[in-house]
Amino acid sequence: MKKILALALALTVGAATAQSAFVWPAAWTAEQNTTNKRGGELRLSAISDFKTMNPFTSAEADSIPTRMATGSGLFTQDPRNDEFIPYMATGAPVVSNNNKRFVVKIRQGMKFSDGQAITADDWISTYKIHTDDKVGSNSRDTFFLIGKPITVKKLDNYTLQFDFPQPSASALSIMSYAPWPDHVFGKAYREGGADAIKKMWGLGTNPSQIVSPGMWVVESYRAGERTVFKKNPNWGDWNKDSRGQELPYLNNLSVRIVSDANAALAAFLAGQIDIVGMRNADDLAQSKKAIDAGSLKAFLKPNVSPQATSQWIVFNWNKASDPAKQKLFRDVRFRRAMSHIANRQAMVQLALGGLGSETYFSTYPIFKQQLEAGLAAGAPQYKYNLAEATKLLAQVGYTKKNAQGYLVDKAGKVLEFNLSTNAGNTVREQLGRIFADEAKKVGVKVNFTPIDFNSLVGQLTAKGENRPFDAILLGLSGGSNIWSFGSNVVPCGTNLHSYNNPTDGKCATSQEQLMTKLYYQGDAELNDAKRRAIGGQLMKVEGELQPVIYLVGGNYHVAFNERLGGEFAANMMDAYYGQRFQALTFIK
Amino acid sequence: MIPFLLRRLVQSIPTLLLASLLIFFVIQLAPGDFLTPAKLNPNISPEALAALERNFGLDRHPVEQYFLWLRNMVLNLDLGLSFSYQQPVLDVIKPRIANSMYLVLLSTLLFYAIAIPIGVYGAVRQNSLGDKSVNVILYFLLGFPSFFVALIVIYFILKMRTATGWEIPINGMTSNGFDSMTSTQKILDIAKHILIPAIILAITDAAGLTRVIRGQMLEVMRSDYIRTARAKGVSERTAIWKHTFRNAILPIVANIGGLLPSAVAGAGFIEVVFAYPGMTPMILEAINAQDLYLIAGFTVITTVLLVIGNVLSDILLAVVDPRIKVG
Repeated sequence: MKKILALALALTVGAATAQSAFVWPAAWTAEQNTTNKRGGELRLSAISDFKTMNPFTSAEADSIPTRMATGSGLFTQDPRNDEFIPYMATGAPVVSNNNKRFVVKIRQGMKFSDGQAITADDWISTYKIHTDDKVGSNSRDTFFLIGKPITVKKLDNYTLQFDFPQPSASALSIMSYAPWPDHVFGKAYREGGADAIKKMWGLGTNPSQIVSPGMWVVESYRAGERTVFKKNPNWGDWNKDSRGQELPYLNNLSVRIVSDANAALAAFLAGQIDIVGMRNADDLAQSKKAIDAGSLKAFLKPNVSPQATSQWIVFNWNKASDPAKQKLFRDVRFRRAMSHIANRQAMVQLALGGLGSETYFSTYPIFKQQLEAGLAAGAPQYKYNLAEATKLLAQVGYTKKNAQGYLVDKAGKVLEFNLSTNAGNTVREQLGRIFADEAKKVGVKVNFTPIDFNSLVGQLTAKGENRPFDAILLGLSGGSNIWSFGSNVVPCGTNLHSYNNPTDGKCATSQEQLMTKLYYQGDAELNDAKRRAIGGQLMKVEGELQPVIYLVGGNYHVAFNERLGGEFAANMMDAYYGQRFQALTFIK
Repeated sequence: MIPFLLRRLVQSIPTLLLASLLIFFVIQLAPGDFLTPAKLNPNISPEALAALERNFGLDRHPVEQYFLWLRNMVLNLDLGLSFSYQQPVLDVIKPRIANSMYLVLLSTLLFYAIAIPIGVYGAVRQNSLGDKSVNVILYFLLGFPSFFVALIVIYFILKMRTATGWEIPINGMTSNGFDSMTSTQKILDIAKHILIPAIILAITDAAGLTRVIRGQMLEVMRSDYIRTARAKGVSERTAIWKHTFRNAILPIVANIGGLLPSAVAGAGFIEVVFAYPGMTPMILEAINAQDLYLIAGFTVITTVLLVIGNVLSDILLAVVDPRIKVG
């Protein structure tokens, strides 16, 4: 009798947890794990060693905490349509107070890797620690909007309330931070404050003490060699595949530290790691050769999408020491001429080995929907056209050429400027050289010099009326497909508004003012279509003003060992979402 | 003995002070700081950067930073916090030093095991065919940096691997699944990984020492007391190993002090080539990231060890050569 009762109880509990589980859509993988293959290890690599296991002091991109927290957060984005869907939340948030208040119900029955329940307290403590500036968390900024804090309150054990200082398109993304255990970090914080948090979970910490909310938890760490993660056994309670099986299928994830990207490629070719980034045509050719020779069984797909990065040339509008140059750089006709000079096709062919995309806007070409909205709004593209460039330069006042073939003004002064990039970045060095060569054809003298990276950044981010550079060729990466404009780039007075950065941070033109306005307007617009339309307007103004000449971006290529299954369908792969979800990956 | 040590201790204070001063300010001379790359991140606000600067103490004047660092080092034996690891420098360095030591100690053992017999052989059989051919090979090796030899070796290992399928490790220090091995398996696994880099290091370094030993041995062998010893009927073996060799190795003993810091400093570029998790790759990364206290702390440790090593050399020299007296 007792046995039957226990069985019945187990069944009801089982049914209850099944109900509260998140089901990973079958469409999120092209290859279903229908044979229920389980176990095995996904083997990855990293170029530099991990620095810490502490989620609050970590500053690296692919840190141990971010890897552990894979598969956590209130909402997650659907790679098919970029939409946010409830994940650790049970449903869409209840929005009130003019789109500024969000009340979110948390899924019940979720547990940390140590078996403790995940509740509202974990989000609250994590929020408190991230926002304490004495902790020095890299995520602190994400909890602020226009300088004002976002607040998080606990309504009950499974309900959270977020209050934003103003509406934000990124609200769901901001709310989707990983909740770290209150019974570990909250406790330490209450007892010892920020200092106690900083001392926690260093690389010397015994992995048995590490607790994770996500798919993985650290199993072992060996300095400079390898970190092995094991699956969080409690994660599968609330993460199921479309057939109701617990996820992940894998038992382990290992990250091997390699000395550089060449070593990573070598390890991939030798079959020691499963996934590697293909940098260029040479990498692709080597992999192809190994596959054709039969020594490597791997999937290879070049040019899947553009990378989410940009390369550009910016001109300095704050050059009080040289009023003639300042006037020139502030002349929109000059900048449009410079865009016409940029032979982007040659740049893709020569510098990127044919594997890249031309860019004309700050929006990365991978964010297709935003890009289309911009083109629909009439955002101009000043394409390669030397005749047009010559015409524009003549309008600025450069009609005569000297004996060396350079354009001169009435006083006989040569039209020239210095262009720097960071030394050692071979792609940028080539882009700069191609630009300088094309400029010479129309009579513009470009003195191109690669300099030290740190000096370069110092120049670019300098503030004041007389900033120390003419033009800089550099790149940016980072940003999301929700609102794909940089908070530090577009509005006047922000530190990467690099063409115009005077002491008072004021806009120099009405277009800049309009862009600043559109930036905040779009950021506050929750409706996707309306927001993209605002972004389109912003792109139009930006395109016309040409404060920054966008050049080219590399492409994203996919390569993985054939022992892996569960990847995305080919049309879903891109640089933003990658090639697969680890949760649905299995070893064949 | 004790006055000697005390005198050395006092002498080392200005040396270390000057070294620490140089280290600290040479690093400061480089443009930019640890936070420079973060300035290019479109998602980090200036306020956050300022907060980080405050947290790291980078907003203070370099002189102030230096004295704070020095005070902490002297009073609390604290080398500061690494920016990128957010941990005490010592904790970051310790596992790396241990890894480097395995490699350096093994290669040092091999180094002497190769250099001494070959050097002695060269002197005893001077100008024989064996001596000459060894000389030629060593002459070539002297000109090759070890990392270049390593690259060539790796090339041949890879060729051999594709031809025979042998799994000869060419990078790292342990295999996959190391943590589930028994202790014997673990030792064997590490040995398998460090043997080839250790041999390469030993062979390329041995070239120099072999020539020194050979020269020293030749010189001593010609001296009067060896001739006297031989004339008195001492066996050839005793004449060479007991009388000649012991006198010939004096310059080597004088160099032994240098081993101490080098055991800690890592095996240089060979660690990079073999992706070995030793000191060198980490220090290179720290220099790249301008991780101020990690670089400075590490350099201070090696300087201290260099001083200690020199004292040890002097003491050893006194033990080997009775003519020298310490104190």
